[in-house]
Amino acid sequence: MRLLKLFVPIFLSIILIVLDARFSYLDSFKRFTLTLLSPIYLVVDLPSQVIDWVNDKGSENELLVSENDYLEGQLIELKAKLQTYNNLTLENQKLSNLLESSYLIPDHDVILARIKSISQSRLSRKIVINKGFNDGVKLSDLIIGSDGVVGQVTEVTPMYTTVRLLSDPTQYIPVKNARNGIRGVTKGLASNERGMTLKYIPLDSDIKLGDIFVTSGIGNSYPTGYSVGRVSSIDEEQEPSFMTIFLEPMQNMNSLELVLIVKEKND
Amino acid sequence: MINQSQFVLLIKITILAFIVGAINLPHLIELISPFWLLLFFVYWLIYSNSEGIYRFAFILGILLDVFQGGILGQNALALVISSAFILSVKKSFFVSNLTTQQVYIFITSLIYLALFLMTHIAVQGIQIQWLVVLTPFTGAILWPAVRFLLAKLKQ
Repeated sequence: MRLLKLFVPIFLSIILIVLDARFSYLDSFKRFTLTLLSPIYLVVDLPSQVIDWVNDKGSENELLVSENDYLEGQLIELKAKLQTYNNLTLENQKLSNLLESSYLIPDHDVILARIKSISQSRLSRKIVINKGFNDGVKLSDLIIGSDGVVGQVTEVTPMYTTVRLLSDPTQYIPVKNARNGIRGVTKGLASNERGMTLKYIPLDSDIKLGDIFVTSGIGNSYPTGYSVGRVSSIDEEQEPSFMTIFLEPMQNMNSLELVLIVKEKND
Repeated sequence: MINQSQFVLLIKITILAFIVGAINLPHLIELISPFWLLLFFVYWLIYSNSEGIYRFAFILGILLDVFQGGILGQNALALVISSAFILSVKKSFFVSNLTTQQVYIFITSLIYLALFLMTHIAVQGIQIQWLVVLTPFTGAILWPAVRFLLAKLKQ
């Protein structure tokens, strides 16, 4: 009887492992349970919220005014850049019409979110952000920072969202070389906290150190054109007919506080 | 069945383990930090009667799997089998001095880690940072502090 009491949960655990690894039957159960557990993030985040509140109260008016001036300056600069971008978009549309091309520059909405917690599990790299499906976040949405892609949404609760970072070993992102359009799929590296690899690129491909890879949009799971990583080294000896490329993420994850959730305009 | 005070202690310990586990730590420290839920559960297991231990271990493991966004059943399997080991040495553990208890905790953490890694490798391949093998050492080193804190919580 005692052995039976032990073997039933062991057997159930093994069944759950197989079901979770191979199928997605348990996704709604996981989402529901995570929603029940999400107040824990609130408790964990409480000390930092209190510190932020105290800091805000303690900030001098002069400092806030100078910060405001600086941010206004940045806003004007970005608006000016946006004008150039809008002109380029119009030019692109005209050229597309002339060439009868169906390509259109994608238009996206973004939602601003703040990071609540980083990496809850020792073997995966994840962050939790303070927006959930109440704010319109959906599974597989792309998350970006000011310099490039951060990761992809893997779990959504009403108030919080879990994002798998692009350096997680189970995260794959279809990318293309911004210089010449060579395509590949990045994969996070377990052995290197900040690295990704790009495998199965033919040996004679034109890839140089410093090339920037952006999201390719293949498979429609990601919007196109967001910076993913820069080529940091190239290994031509690991595979006989392919080169292995190592990428360094464009976005520095250590200094990240705010992120943007990218959504298609018609979502 | 377990009595009400044991159940309340289990709830307190579980919430505390989840909160401690969710605190942001630098990546390297997080890699070698102990399996908090295991340490906390062992403490509860030692001071409770042996009814329904595996059932609770399974439920807490599943909750942890969901919370960490890992493979469902991974922590549950590791926690159930580690609990079986602790149950088998429970009488000895209870009367042992702190150093012997640390040895037991080391072995339990080692069993937990082995099962955790086996599941991970079976599902996701060998995608691990090997510093994680230090986890049983940190678990054993931090056991006296955990025991002291949980004793305060139990009062």
